[in-house]
Amino acid sequence: MKISYNWLKEHLPLELPAAELAAHLSRLGFEVAGIARLGPAFTGVVAAKVASREKHPNADKLSICLVDDGSRTWNVVCGAPNVAEGQTVAFARIGAVLPGGFKIGKAKLRGVESEGMICSRAELGLPKDGDGIWVLGEGPALGADVLSLLGLADDVLDVEVASNRPDCLSHRGLARELAAYFRKPLKPLRLPLEETLGSYDLVRVEDGAACPFYSGRLIEGVKVGESPEWLKNRLEAVGLRPINNVVDITNFILHDVGHPLHAFDADRLAGGRIVVRRSKAGETLSALDHKSYDLPEGLLVVADAEKPVALAGVMGAEKSSVTAGTTRMILEGAYFIPTEVRRSSRKTRLRSDSSYRFERGADPEAAREAAARAAALILQLAGGRAAGACESSSPRAANPVVKTTVSRLNAILGAAFPSEQVRDALAAIAAESKGEADQLEFRAPSWRLDLATAFDLAEEVARLLGYENIPCRMAPLAPVAARTTPVEAASRRARSHLCALGLWEACNYDLLAEKTLTACRLPPEGPPRVADPLSEDWALLRPSLLPGLLKNAQHNLSRGADAVRLFEIGKTYARAGAGVTERWRAAGLLLGPLLDARWQAARASRAGFYDAKAVVEDLLARAGALGWARLGEPAAGRTPCDPLFHPTNSLRALLDGAPAATVGWLHPRAARAFDLEREGVVLFDADLESLAARAAPRARCAEFSALPVSRRDLALLVDKAVAYAQVEAVVRACAPADLQDFLLFDVYEGKGLPEGTKSLAVRLTFGRRDRTLTDAEIAQAVETAVAALARELGAKLRT
Amino acid sequence: MKREAPTSRAAWEQAYAQSESALRAADVERCADLPKLEEVRVRFLGRKGELTELLKALKNLSLDDRRTLGPLAQALKDSLDRQVSARRAELEDAYDAASLQKDAIDLTLPSLRPPRGRLHPLTTTLHEIACIFQFMGYSWEEGPFIEDERHNFSALNIPDDHPARDSHDTFYLQGLPLLLRTHTSTVQVRVMESSKPPLRVVCPGRVFRHEQIDATHSAVFHQVEGLVIDEGVGFADLKGHLQAFLQKLLGPSTQTRFRPSYFPFTEPSTEVDVKCFFCPGSGCPACKRTGWIEILGAGVVNPAVLSAVGYDPEKWSGFAFGIGVERVAMLLHGVQDLRDFYSNDLRFLAQFDEDLV
Repeated sequence: MKISYNWLKEHLPLELPAAELAAHLSRLGFEVAGIARLGPAFTGVVAAKVASREKHPNADKLSICLVDDGSRTWNVVCGAPNVAEGQTVAFARIGAVLPGGFKIGKAKLRGVESEGMICSRAELGLPKDGDGIWVLGEGPALGADVLSLLGLADDVLDVEVASNRPDCLSHRGLARELAAYFRKPLKPLRLPLEETLGSYDLVRVEDGAACPFYSGRLIEGVKVGESPEWLKNRLEAVGLRPINNVVDITNFILHDVGHPLHAFDADRLAGGRIVVRRSKAGETLSALDHKSYDLPEGLLVVADAEKPVALAGVMGAEKSSVTAGTTRMILEGAYFIPTEVRRSSRKTRLRSDSSYRFERGADPEAAREAAARAAALILQLAGGRAAGACESSSPRAANPVVKTTVSRLNAILGAAFPSEQVRDALAAIAAESKGEADQLEFRAPSWRLDLATAFDLAEEVARLLGYENIPCRMAPLAPVAARTTPVEAASRRARSHLCALGLWEACNYDLLAEKTLTACRLPPEGPPRVADPLSEDWALLRPSLLPGLLKNAQHNLSRGADAVRLFEIGKTYARAGAGVTERWRAAGLLLGPLLDARWQAARASRAGFYDAKAVVEDLLARAGALGWARLGEPAAGRTPCDPLFHPTNSLRALLDGAPAATVGWLHPRAARAFDLEREGVVLFDADLESLAARAAPRARCAEFSALPVSRRDLALLVDKAVAYAQVEAVVRACAPADLQDFLLFDVYEGKGLPEGTKSLAVRLTFGRRDRTLTDAEIAQAVETAVAALARELGAKLRT
Repeated sequence: MKREAPTSRAAWEQAYAQSESALRAADVERCADLPKLEEVRVRFLGRKGELTELLKALKNLSLDDRRTLGPLAQALKDSLDRQVSARRAELEDAYDAASLQKDAIDLTLPSLRPPRGRLHPLTTTLHEIACIFQFMGYSWEEGPFIEDERHNFSALNIPDDHPARDSHDTFYLQGLPLLLRTHTSTVQVRVMESSKPPLRVVCPGRVFRHEQIDATHSAVFHQVEGLVIDEGVGFADLKGHLQAFLQKLLGPSTQTRFRPSYFPFTEPSTEVDVKCFFCPGSGCPACKRTGWIEILGAGVVNPAVLSAVGYDPEKWSGFAFGIGVERVAMLLHGVQDLRDFYSNDLRFLAQFDEDLV
């Protein structure tokens, strides 16, 4: 909210510089987002008298003046034709700064020294008023600063008022708050109103609960016209555009005392009367903002005999508003219940300065006085005669008394404010405050709707006595073993593993576009949808972390990266019956060289399936028995993001037989959609919650054998279709317990081998803890293994 | 060339003279290489070397001869020993120098970095914040991101028609009575519903606001919520805990300022500022020329919130706070545009490498 410092001073005499006022407001809980200096941007210009004028010896159009600024006289060369002896003028002394940063210094004009400048209005950035220099007229003391002399300067503070303090949404409201803070009295508000027309029965309120107070006052014979300068200046200072005197006065009152008013053209009200009622089906309002609104049934409206002429407390109709031709008007001063105005505003999506105040809570008791003040101003500025107000009011209970104690307030604050200070602070804001010793009885004034409990009063005391006067307390803290959640523990483990494997953590939004899902071959019907998305790009809650990561890969490749290894830990969402499930997952992708070793090409291998498989093994290690299944096999089950994976070159990782993660190539069609087809992207996606549910046991150290082990290498020739895992399984199944390790060290297909076969070179490591194995024992074990391989897989030894 | 061991003085002297001249000819000090030097050493000093033999042959001579000739032979042997050792050292140094020279590589070629991961700056910042509180005995709690009206609003003293809802522009789900939580304060409610006081919890996580994204606003961001419920807890405890936290996060000399503010779920409420750590209080863009940086919001738990979860507000009291993780990360790392955190641009992420896990 914009607050003009000059305007504020009309309610409370304050001498502080604006910046200091802002600091005090901040201590009171009103943040000042900025201070704008209004008015012409010049300094150092004073009132001075032209003591004499002579013609310039070397120039026809110039004159030489002696100018008296009260301290001495100055020799000034002036080019204006209207300069004359005896005038009081605006004189820019040496050192003055004029608009545009133009600094006044000594200058020689056609050989004559000039010690300053006599200014025109235009040179001071003021609206032009005739040609030549600005003649101030009699009155100003010589040497007086022109800016302050004319009240031209103002500071406009942009004050943030929290939603619980609607009473401070005006100059008087904020002045009232500052008056309590500085313990200074407010200036009284007085503007007597002469009622010369008698009273008319103009108003009927059908819903007294929604509109507890309504006053309508007829004013006849008004002359609608331009507002005087002072009023226009006030409105412009707070960012409002002057319209006409009557409308400007209602706006002025809104920002002056905070109560919204409305002026109707009485001749444009059917029946010349006002009814406050509920809207009926099919009614519309063509509002002052030049838009038409369909009114849902049941909103509180102000109507004439036929139709709504205002959405109560929100906005009036264009047709019945006060315009240049208006002579008879009805001035509305009303109090509408906040929830009613809020509902109307929300249903019509129509907001105004008026609705902003009513829905936060206007002062229920202020409408009468605000309307009377406006009426008096109208008579003053637009003429006419006022009738008595026609009022409809429902009785309203005063704010309740809050009973508490000083010690309770101090306990809430953890402070030790003396009783007198607390009492004094509360008295400054109370309608009524009393109590003996520790006891406090407090009744809030009608404009304070936020003071109902001891906690509310504690905040008032803290604000008025200073938050900085409450101590910082570290009460003896009972040592507690802080817990963490299993998912968080699992996330941390996963992060440390993934970082150790060289992946970088990414962080994507939870919302994504339908087209991103489609590009990933994922069905857009699956994930939950946001009702009113910010844009197409934010329509759906992500069913998987992978689409975001793929976009990241695309982004980075397009910006010159050649290797991308990213992971993300985050939530994924799915519809589930009438609700939504959310689940923590850890996913990632790898593409490009694993080692940044361009100049050693031999070491710069590109990430492939087996690298991603290692990541998954690492993530799942020790959480349970790790198994694998191909996508499509029953054991693999199905997950929502399976379509993103290459159908054959992908695997499901199982923990104790249950699906826990997926690893594989990106599906070629998705790769095409993301311009990644030439990159060879491998992906993984793990269910973090199933990892969290199986907290890995603490590592236990086992003794290892000091005895030497024996290694035997076998080169096996098998059919191409035989999977490596089958070979390992057969060997492990038949091998004695002495087989310690099974290692594949070469895979070869091609030249030198029979068509349709491949060679697997494996190393078997044998050893025992208690003794060294004999050659015969090892030979026996190898022979058994070779026989089993031949029998079950048709494997032959290559020689 | 095998010699007979001399048995007479004359024969011995002759043999000695021969050896001496042979030695001179061998020129040990300029011997070309290690194998030649070894050859010389074996010839004269080996187990059957000429000098070794001469010394042995002394035993065939008279005692007088031995007394005069012995030292002579010994001196020659010692001198040769020294010459051989010295020459060997020279030759070895030369040999090493040559081979070290031959092995030289270009040490200025770029290093070969093993791939090394990085944590996202929001993760490290969130952990840094939460860990300080965990050391202060706050347990880590989480809640769902998708919430209902009760947990996000009404149980936090934000009834349906409350204007405070305006500042929480909310994403609602299509066709479901659910929303994306607008603050982590929802977890306060969930924790209080499921546990008995006293409580000391920190609740980090993502929150969502229906607002356009720009350099300082995000529709998705992270908060760390804190809640303490105990007997006799007041605003002073809030000040103490948060000051301790800020001094741990930003340094022990950090100055704090508590300003009144408004949140429906706390009363009294406060906005906490720290003295600008970029300028000496004179004002800079980071502190919007005020000398202070707003860093978090907090307050004494509104008794209406306690009542909503069935806690007795006469017995229990507490305080709560909320910290914007992005804001802290921007301040700590000098990030100018909030969107950078979600760009996942490697050039951005590459700059955060001080913490791994």
